[in-house]
Amino acid sequence: MLRKTITLLYIFLLILCTTGCWNRVELNELAISVGQGIDKEEDKYKVSTQIVIPSEVALKAGASSGIPVTLFTGTEETVFEAMREITTVSPRKIYHSHLRILVIGEELAKEGIGKVLDFYARDHEYRTDFFIVIAKETTAENILSMLTTIEKIPANNMLSSLETSEKTWAPTTSVTLHELIRSLVTEGKSPVLTGIEIKGDPSIGDNVQNIEQINPAAYLKYSGIAVFKRDRMLGWLNKEQSRGYNIVMDNVKNTVANVQCPTEGEMNFEVIQSKTKVKGKVENGTPKIEVSIEAEGNIGEVKCAIDLTKPKAIYELEKQTEDSFEKLTQETIKTVQEDFGVDIFGFGDVIHRSDPELWKKLKKDWNEKHFTDLDVNVKADIKIRRLGKIGNSFLPEMKE
Amino acid sequence: MQRRSKTNKEDEADTTSTPQDNNKGTSQEIQLHPSLEENLKSISKAIGNSDDVVIRKIKLGKEGCIEAGIIYTDGIVDTKSINDFILESLMIDFDYEGNSDSKRDLLDCLRDSVVAVGNIQECKDFEKIYSSLFSGHVIVLINGFTRGFTIDLSGGKDREVAEATQESVVRGPREAFTESLRTNTALIRRKINDSNLWVESKRIGRVTKTQVSVMYIKGIVNDKVLEEVRERLDRIEIDGILESGYIEELIEDKTFSPFPTIYNTERPDVVAACLLEGRVAILVNGTPFVLVVPSLFTQFFQAAEDYYQRWDFSTLIRFLRLICFFIALLAPSIFIAVTTFHHEMIPTPLLISLASQREGVPFPAFVEALIMEVTFEILREGGIRMPRAIGQAVSIVGTLVIGTAAVEAGIVSAAMVIVVSITAIASFVVPSNNMGISIRMIRFIFMGLAASFGIFGITAAFIAMILHLCSLRSFGIPYMSPFGPFNAEDQKDSLFRFPHWGLVSRPHLMNQKNVNREDSPSPTPPENQ
Repeated sequence: MLRKTITLLYIFLLILCTTGCWNRVELNELAISVGQGIDKEEDKYKVSTQIVIPSEVALKAGASSGIPVTLFTGTEETVFEAMREITTVSPRKIYHSHLRILVIGEELAKEGIGKVLDFYARDHEYRTDFFIVIAKETTAENILSMLTTIEKIPANNMLSSLETSEKTWAPTTSVTLHELIRSLVTEGKSPVLTGIEIKGDPSIGDNVQNIEQINPAAYLKYSGIAVFKRDRMLGWLNKEQSRGYNIVMDNVKNTVANVQCPTEGEMNFEVIQSKTKVKGKVENGTPKIEVSIEAEGNIGEVKCAIDLTKPKAIYELEKQTEDSFEKLTQETIKTVQEDFGVDIFGFGDVIHRSDPELWKKLKKDWNEKHFTDLDVNVKADIKIRRLGKIGNSFLPEMKE
Repeated sequence: MQRRSKTNKEDEADTTSTPQDNNKGTSQEIQLHPSLEENLKSISKAIGNSDDVVIRKIKLGKEGCIEAGIIYTDGIVDTKSINDFILESLMIDFDYEGNSDSKRDLLDCLRDSVVAVGNIQECKDFEKIYSSLFSGHVIVLINGFTRGFTIDLSGGKDREVAEATQESVVRGPREAFTESLRTNTALIRRKINDSNLWVESKRIGRVTKTQVSVMYIKGIVNDKVLEEVRERLDRIEIDGILESGYIEELIEDKTFSPFPTIYNTERPDVVAACLLEGRVAILVNGTPFVLVVPSLFTQFFQAAEDYYQRWDFSTLIRFLRLICFFIALLAPSIFIAVTTFHHEMIPTPLLISLASQREGVPFPAFVEALIMEVTFEILREGGIRMPRAIGQAVSIVGTLVIGTAAVEAGIVSAAMVIVVSITAIASFVVPSNNMGISIRMIRFIFMGLAASFGIFGITAAFIAMILHLCSLRSFGIPYMSPFGPFNAEDQKDSLFRFPHWGLVSRPHLMNQKNVNREDSPSPTPPENQ
């Protein structure tokens, strides 16, 4: 019995040694990568990675240079090689699990992003919950070299900014790796990615002085949505079209819509709840799409004389809002149909689901032929729930 | 008084059946000599003329014609009572006149009408004399008789019944057991005034002859368990029992287990509650810690106060204790595993914050945790052994060692200090000290596994621990009941504590025959009139 116990204990101790703590890495042996960027440099990939300097971020008093991150770059034929090349620069092992954002240079995006994504999907260290954005009219490296305010870590800043703007304003859309790959392989759906650009002078963006001013001379800003055909970028949607896109895609949770008053002037409508349903049907062999938008909201701002206390006026306003929603989406869809000719809305997928037989015939040249001619009917149903803290605007009274 | 004398009779009955002592074989079974002189001489020789044993010769009665010897151990008898009830009655008040025809009558006469003490017994051999002598009896021998008698006048200095120090409560009785067995049985008697509360006593220890009492409530106790207790106590062959811990180790089901299978307490109310549940209490003379068997895993997470406070609060507190059990057991190991293997599990801001704290710390997280845990154990142990006066100095130095100073010196990270501190505090939330010790021991195993296998190691060790717990038994009762084997009805008083009117039955495994505990209805408001 004793012999057996000792043998078992011995084996157990040996097991402890054999592991060699194979995966053990202490926290201070890690270089936590929070942002990565890929650019095309001739026929090589240039990978930039934004590494957090923990001691600069922590809430510790004491002297610090104020720069919370550092940027390492490597250039090689494949992303994986380039990433490994960085170890010649970095004193620590680059740790990818906490990647917040992946920036792809516009140049690379136009050539095709499919090849670089394989590495991100395959490598075990990457979680797939990071957002992917396109560096608009600049390189990914430049984007990652910008210092930001409030959120000290620029990658965090980009992530939060994208999340917030998507939730409350809706001209942006957050796309994670999984979503991107899914729309790349889904027939009848083309991917989109939000763009990020540098406002101001990019050359001073990486300097501490830039964020030591109240109004930074250079800053990062999300703008527009990049439209892709398969993995190749075609062009940009502007702000309004991006909103329209998000409405159709049911990405909107909370946004603001401009509505024309019945009389002169404008007013704002704050969407607090929105639901978009896309239905496909086939009539006489031709596919048709019906988009129905149901939204609820409040009056946000009134700049005209209107008696909001009368139910009739509210009905009228609802009608107006419905019209403006319908117009916005119709125009967006039309632009995409005419200018890009790629089905970023996934209408093809909807048809596929409603009539699989027909889809087999259509799918061959869906983007080129059928999508551009697709008859899309948009119907909005808007409910105005609350007027805000005041009823009628005081503006008409002021005139007297 | 009746009950007491009965108990003592049992004491004596057991004493005669204690195992033979080989060391002092010479005095065995040797009957008293008719000559007082001879008897006193051999006693004096046998005890090596120890001067704490008082041997006195007196003459009985006013006439002083009969010689008698009085022997007692100074310090453990009540000297005032000896003077009042023995010396005075024998030497002055005793008037031996008319009944001089029979020598036999002298002894009976003395016993029945002269010595005014409750517990008085006859003795014939030396063995009996010695065992009585050292447990506070006064021995009276009379010249010409081969019998004497022993009078229980045990007294002397005992510690007063004081407030419980190990298991203090906010609400509930304050008293705790003392070192005196008799006081301890009395404390329980005061709580349970029923004739079914039985005490069986025996002496264990070849040299110390320590008095050990087994207490139970006849009719409620599980007879199998009781029989097992008797058997296991009989198996003990040791020279001395100085504390109930000796007995605990000698009778427990499994020695090679970190978990205690015998509960000990210093609170009479806890023992009374356990007896009412059908458990058996083992009291050992010379220690305030009473053993209770069988004891289950849940019992170590229950405190006396659970039953005195409102039931809802008690239930919450029990859950809190369970959480603390897991914190005390797993917090450092999970911290080690997560920070060295599974960085992806930590939210990014937290990871960056932890990483910044670890900047410049020269040790791996495991060594860091080990340093802190061992430091804490040193402080804990030091705090117990340290003379009271130095205690304060230790606590000041201690706070520096596992506090900011260690962090500022860059030896450990601040996060580790927090983890170790909460672990330390959580291990003291468990009401039973010996379960706390078990947790602290197993913690180190978990830490080692976490450092080499990560969460995988913790999971494997945890499963092994649960399997081990389920394999344990305490005097035949599965240790993990009522969870495994599961008993739905017993859940009322394990993790949860139902209101008292809901605690209708006694624990089922503990007791199979007399299960019904009460029939009180739940309180209802008076009907509307």
